Amino acid sequence: MKRVFFLVAFTCLFATWVPAQGLDPAKLLKPSTDIWPTFNGDYSGRRYSTLAQISRQNVGSLTLAWAFQTHGRGLESMPIEVNGILYISAGNEIWAVDARTGRQIWHFARPGAPTGGSNKGVAMWKDRLFMTTPDAQLLCVDARAGKLIWQIQVDDPTLKAFGGVAPLVIRDHIIIGTSGDTADLPGFLESVDPMTGKVEWRWDAMPKKDDTIAWNSWPHDTNVGSRGGGMTWLTGTYDPALNLLYWGTGNPHPVENGDARPGANLYTCAIVALNPDTGKLVWYFQSSPHDTHDWDTVMTPVLFDGTFKGKPRKMLAQANKNGLFFVLDRTNGKALISEAFVPANWVKGYDDRGQPIPDSDREPKPDGVLVTGGVGTNWQAPSYDPDTGLFYVNSRETMGVFYLTMPGKSAEGWAGRDFFLGSKSMLKAIDVQTGKVRWTADTEGRGGQSGILSTAGHLVFTADMSQNLVALDAVTGEVLWHMYAGGSLGTGPMTYELDGRQYVVYDADGVAFAFALPSR
Amino acid sequence: MKKFALVAGLVLGAVFLLSAQEGAAPTPRGQAAPNPAAVERGRVLFKTNCAACHAEDATGGRGADLIRSALVRHDKNGDQIGPVVTNGRVDKGMPPFPLSETQIQDIAVFLQAQITLFDLHTRFGPYPNDIPAERLATGTAEAGKAYFESRCSGCHSPTGDLAGIAKKYNPPDLEVHFLYPSGVPTTAVVTLPSGEKLEGTLLLNDGFYVAIQGKDGWYHSWPARSVKTEVHDPLAAHAELLEKYTDADMHNIFTYLETLK
Repeated sequence: MKRVFFLVAFTCLFATWVPAQGLDPAKLLKPSTDIWPTFNGDYSGRRYSTLAQISRQNVGSLTLAWAFQTHGRGLESMPIEVNGILYISAGNEIWAVDARTGRQIWHFARPGAPTGGSNKGVAMWKDRLFMTTPDAQLLCVDARAGKLIWQIQVDDPTLKAFGGVAPLVIRDHIIIGTSGDTADLPGFLESVDPMTGKVEWRWDAMPKKDDTIAWNSWPHDTNVGSRGGGMTWLTGTYDPALNLLYWGTGNPHPVENGDARPGANLYTCAIVALNPDTGKLVWYFQSSPHDTHDWDTVMTPVLFDGTFKGKPRKMLAQANKNGLFFVLDRTNGKALISEAFVPANWVKGYDDRGQPIPDSDREPKPDGVLVTGGVGTNWQAPSYDPDTGLFYVNSRETMGVFYLTMPGKSAEGWAGRDFFLGSKSMLKAIDVQTGKVRWTADTEGRGGQSGILSTAGHLVFTADMSQNLVALDAVTGEVLWHMYAGGSLGTGPMTYELDGRQYVVYDADGVAFAFALPSR
Repeated sequence: MKKFALVAGLVLGAVFLLSAQEGAAPTPRGQAAPNPAAVERGRVLFKTNCAACHAEDATGGRGADLIRSALVRHDKNGDQIGPVVTNGRVDKGMPPFPLSETQIQDIAVFLQAQITLFDLHTRFGPYPNDIPAERLATGTAEAGKAYFESRCSGCHSPTGDLAGIAKKYNPPDLEVHFLYPSGVPTTAVVTLPSGEKLEGTLLLNDGFYVAIQGKDGWYHSWPARSVKTEVHDPLAAHAELLEKYTDADMHNIFTYLETLK
């Protein structure tokens, strides 16, 4: 596909790349414990680390190793760490920070771009960093010096598209998605050449005519089936053995008017499995068919192997914004478990693939309708701990009131209004064999809207609604350590070990805090 | 028709790519309020000349949807739509419209106003906080009154605290407010190891610390384990009801409360 990009004069510097520096994409197949090289730490999305230096026994003595100040930029990003350097991002900026000392190495501010704005994180390929921006550009930045190499426009900001998603590196391909919800616009995934910015393939969430089932899941007396939905807001996961890329897609448009688009509206609100070499769809699982509540399915599809009911399985689990927890067979997308983890009155039942059947009585109405289930969780990452077999998710129980404000077939954009009342936030540990909640961290306000990290130290690191960073016993949910951070955790904690010392890094508002055991 | 859409899409895509070349941050629209007279002039011109194909609200029909058209969204004072209007797109069935530059500018202003209207139909925008009461009052005041008398009148009175309540809130705010009022402070009685009791507005109760603003006006805090804390949530009854309301209850109660003017 034709794309506009421009090269800044750094190309010559990259002709002789030395694998000992930067990040060899082969390392992503089995990352060592001294790096956290991707948004999720590894391809599986488990956010589980085998590091165990910080454990249940000693976490109470955790202390601040350093704090890094962005001086006022809000951080919503997951730092990555490679070769002792952390890369922390926001809006149009990246900071390279010494992962041992917290001291800044360089600061990249995109020329001519405003400061501020959110970003979920950067990706690294060899000695290049990649990030998407609030004005829907993909930037390629020299990881050594923090200089822009090229940028390409990936979507149209006047249609209210924006970037922010952390790209995913698979071999020599940069996989990116796009975000937006205000005006109708169609979602997609693209694979981009890391050297040139050339688009290698594009997968569209809006189906083509020859894809009969998906095409027929939209009406075609209007253009609603091409207009929009299925945004790809959050980084997906990858199974190298199956060579399948898993990604969640966003809601259909118009968001809260279902009358304008009778049908299942594929491939919105779905987990899709793609071949990362071609962008071809292999299977899909639609977690909210014909969504009318903005229950985008972008939450991390978490991959793990094990036995399920006595049979070895390659599984994929997702705690969805719609209040449902799914465990799928990731070879074919069939549900092994479909179970609500918060009350969800919008579900009438499940079809033979385990996809929920929405209750049409719970669709937004001009005089309002009461709906439970959303926002059961949000984009902040969950974690799966293979030692406990528990899937940890920060959940929310709330009553939604949904008003249809723009009825009729010509509706566009949001087309409604919603309020969420009486929220109760809690961290839940879900047994992946049953889908039942094993325990809930029931201390006041524990849980909330933060990402999660689990470790072989039998610990779960997260934050709560009172801006406390916390570590819990992974087996029981007991709180073992806490620290008031003075700001909300923007994303999940991450961990790495350098010089024999394990660090846990949290971003809270404009500060990155690194914690470790007291140095001897 | 589909062919038209495809070709139009390609043309619009080309415009998008051209503008993308700039690489600059997007210019937020609607910084200056549009001239209402120009919007109205544009509305009339649009209705007369364009609505047959593009629909009165510009969402399209036989012709392209102009609300989500990249060309229209990149337009400034008619610089993008002007050539299309005056030359037409004859190959796609759109004839030329011999409108003046001023008329095209008015249409451009109208289109930008329409785009703003559609984009603001989000939960984040100011619209539509003005959902009219009639749209929400689909229950019966009698059933709402009966519900109120059986479940709410222990704490509330239509001639006391709720007198004139429908005048204080716009309709959606009234509904949301009765379903679950926000901003009502939780209070607590904190018993110290000495046996002394302090009462006040609860400011923090995160399991680690308890903090109140006491009746003496001062801030006080303690480690949670060192004191006994009795929390009085004035919304506990609302939280309980919130889980039980049916849509019909909600409509009936609203219809009743809307009579309290």
